[in-house]
Amino acid sequence: MATRLPEKEIVVIGGGLTAGLVARKLVPAGREVLVLERGPDWSGSAVGELPHQRDELRWATYRGMTRRENVETYTLRHSPDEEALPMRQLLSFLPGFGVGGAAQHWNGQTWRFSESDYVLRQHLTERYGAKSIPDGMTIQDWGLTYRDLQPYYEEFEALFGIAGKAGNLRGVRQAGGNPFEPWRATEYPLPPLEMSEASQIFKDATGQLGYEAFPLPAANASQPYRNPDGMQLGQCQYCGHCERFTCEANAKATPASLLFPLVRSRPNFELRAGAEVIRLNTTADGTRLESVSYVDVATGQEFIQPGSLFVLCSYTLSNVRLLLLSKIGTPYDPVTRTGTVGKNYCYQVTSGLNMFFPDRYINPFMGAGALGFVIDDFNNDNFDHTGLGFHGGGYISATQTNGRPIDTRRLPPGTPRWGSAWKKANADWYLRSMGLSVHGSNYANARNYMDLDPDYKDQWGRPLLRITFDFDDNDALMCRYVNGKMEEIAAAAGAKIVGKASVRKSPYDTRQYQSTHNTGGTIMGSDPGSSVVSPHLQSWDVENLFISGASVFPQNSGYNPTGPVGALGLRLAEDLLSYLSGPRRLG
Amino acid sequence: MSPDEPQGLSRRSLLTSAGALGVGVLAAPVGLARARQAGDTGENAEAQQAADAAQPDAVDGYQSLSLDDAAIVEALVGHMWPADDLSPDGVALGIATFIDRQLAGAYGQGDRLYLSGPFRQGKPEHGYQLACTPEQYFKAGLRQVAEVSAQRYAAPPDRLTTDQLEELLHVISQAPPQPAAFALNTWFNELFYPLFVRGAFADPIYGGNRGKQAWRMIGYPGLPATYATDIVTWRGRRHPASDSPMSIQDFS
Ligand SMILES: Cc1cc2nc3c(=O)[nH]c(=O)nc-3n(C[C@H](O)[C@H](O)[C@H](O)COP(=O)(O)OP(=O)(O)OC[C@H]3O[C@@H](n4cnc5c(N)ncnc54)[C@H](O)[C@@H]3O)c2cc1C
Ligand code: SF4
Repeated sequence: MATRLPEKEIVVIGGGLTAGLVARKLVPAGREVLVLERGPDWSGSAVGELPHQRDELRWATYRGMTRRENVETYTLRHSPDEEALPMRQLLSFLPGFGVGGAAQHWNGQTWRFSESDYVLRQHLTERYGAKSIPDGMTIQDWGLTYRDLQPYYEEFEALFGIAGKAGNLRGVRQAGGNPFEPWRATEYPLPPLEMSEASQIFKDATGQLGYEAFPLPAANASQPYRNPDGMQLGQCQYCGHCERFTCEANAKATPASLLFPLVRSRPNFELRAGAEVIRLNTTADGTRLESVSYVDVATGQEFIQPGSLFVLCSYTLSNVRLLLLSKIGTPYDPVTRTGTVGKNYCYQVTSGLNMFFPDRYINPFMGAGALGFVIDDFNNDNFDHTGLGFHGGGYISATQTNGRPIDTRRLPPGTPRWGSAWKKANADWYLRSMGLSVHGSNYANARNYMDLDPDYKDQWGRPLLRITFDFDDNDALMCRYVNGKMEEIAAAAGAKIVGKASVRKSPYDTRQYQSTHNTGGTIMGSDPGSSVVSPHLQSWDVENLFISGASVFPQNSGYNPTGPVGALGLRLAEDLLSYLSGPRRLG
Repeated sequence: MSPDEPQGLSRRSLLTSAGALGVGVLAAPVGLARARQAGDTGENAEAQQAADAAQPDAVDGYQSLSLDDAAIVEALVGHMWPADDLSPDGVALGIATFIDRQLAGAYGQGDRLYLSGPFRQGKPEHGYQLACTPEQYFKAGLRQVAEVSAQRYAAPPDRLTTDQLEELLHVISQAPPQPAAFALNTWFNELFYPLFVRGAFADPIYGGNRGKQAWRMIGYPGLPATYATDIVTWRGRRHPASDSPMSIQDFS
């Protein structure tokens, strides 16, 4: 028997980044907020303290901060006519778990999407004609523009102390910044991180080819920082234990360092860790949510938590799964292309190569999650695609995030895999090698989507989310093209040995980490027939439900997603206040 | 019930039958004597190395590996990480101990692995799809390795010459997966080899990388990793910490 609890005004499902952004705005405004987070509260545990924070095996190889697969995983098939198998080990992406979510152990590479991203179909149609978009490429417009989001990008970057160099201040080009950057109102709140040897090599090589490399915008504080809320960050130590780890120096911008402390001691805020939401309960007519059901994971006991406003902040995959489990909205059907929940699942197209310099110490162990230099010339629609046969692109970078020795020992092609020659190659090249990488877009495909798996269940016996996904020709062509540009840069860099970049293509390999940038499934748009939420992130089906996170992206850009996730989250927080002042469909 | 279920069952029975193979094929272990050498490695090395080697190492003796298992594992890691002018061999480095501890511990017991059925044969890109724990899978693979060794050389892996071991490793790491057989190359590449690498390069607290010798070999400084000024001072130059790595134990 489930226990019914007293009503709370606002119930937030999930306790990660977007939940923190909502709480930060609503709690100081006097609203009552309850956050339900399935994972633990990490504060005060070994995860963030020396010496145990520097344990590669525990936090990186064994993914200690991420959700355990035997609690819940996902199934995967490459096309709708195949049978799906469970990802028994989650390796390709790492869903967050516990207070702060994935943003507790992210890299901090913090971008703004291109102005064309929000109006992608319209933009590509205008520039290349409707015929240039293949029938299966189900890209859509967001229902808002960059102008709508620009102030919230500004606010998010100030909150998170982003270190970078502006390339475009109100339309005026700034030397040293990204020439392709959408316009900004202010300079980045912190100067860029220090220049590493790898960044220098990249900057020199790209400069020779006529490109302007610039520092990757970073949520690793280049200096001690105090944000507009009065919250503090320490200085980044370039410790090389950043992604997959939480920061020991309090220099990485995270929900647990910057967002939750602001509200935790307030009487109108409560965060319940170890509370896994299993269902959203609608009223009899299905037009409103009346409560959520959750399980206390310590006891297995079920509770019903009533509320008047609900915000789904449980990351892309859980957002979609909870809607499907609760039978809210119409599931997407890839044959008829009708229905919307689960539609336009997208990922990220990534690749890379290694370079070896006998005479230069790269010292890869000194790194930060977002330390690096970038060129943006071949990202999204920053270049002319006429005659290329694909859309989209990616940024090319030399990032130096870590030299952790289990995973990041670069070896020249042809090195044996064991023996004295292998040992010698490790000894010769560990300190003297670096990587280049491509981080590319992934545009929606009618066959890629999410629904409930018919066979596999989670620990409570509920269906797992089934992901039907593969890379398509557009992805492979795009990757091949941008790889070519990356190879030219490698050639100009003067490395003694250059490795080969492989083209990211079908079949999607779940054994390789690619990114935790899963998007889509509850996409936003101005037409209820083709989207799940409105441009205000309000559910078209259930008026008092709002959805936050990259699940609302209609397709994925060539940039990392958390900049726009943060900007949308801050805009949502204002919309929620407006809704509370007079509950209605926001227009 | 899915149409693929019988296939899953047959894979499981294959593992069970693999469990029956190899017993008696194996010779007596060379393990214990070689493992004991581990403590002696600091003798001829620099002062720092001697100090590190003098630190109490993980207690020798295996938690998961049987004598037969240990003989194979030691033969493989001793060959894959040979003694040379860079370091002593993989057994002395503690890689076999590391693997043993991992198998007996949370990882080997499938602690966080999703182990619910139905079990189906996937594509390689689907990753691990077995109904057993990594420890069980590891041991089933060892028996296959013994079998291949017996067939090709009429001797167990720990009695092979260096050339034979080298050839054996190429055979087991490259054999194409056949639908009906135990995919030894998958076992080697996705279970054995990653454990081998982790045993070499993980923090010594887990029993491998004794005396931080693998870290010293490549120049990885370990902890404390606070480089806010060093990133500038030592840009492009060899950082002195590369010569004297620090591990978790050094801060405990
Ligand atoms: C290793 C790594 C590196 C990354 N690096 C970058 C980067 O450099 N740049 C970038 O832009 N992005 C990066 N990301 C992505 C970034 O972390 C996410 O975009 C961001 O955290 C998403 O915020 P969110 O609120 O949607 O989800 P999260 O922050 O993950 O929060 C979701 C929370 O919901 C909880 N939850 C889920 N289901 C339930 C349920 N049923 N009941 C209760 N709680 C639930 C989860 O436990 C989790 O804590 C990275 C991610 C990872 C894992
Ligand atoms: S690299 Fe910097 S921001 Fe990242 S964990 Fe280390 S100190 Fe923190």
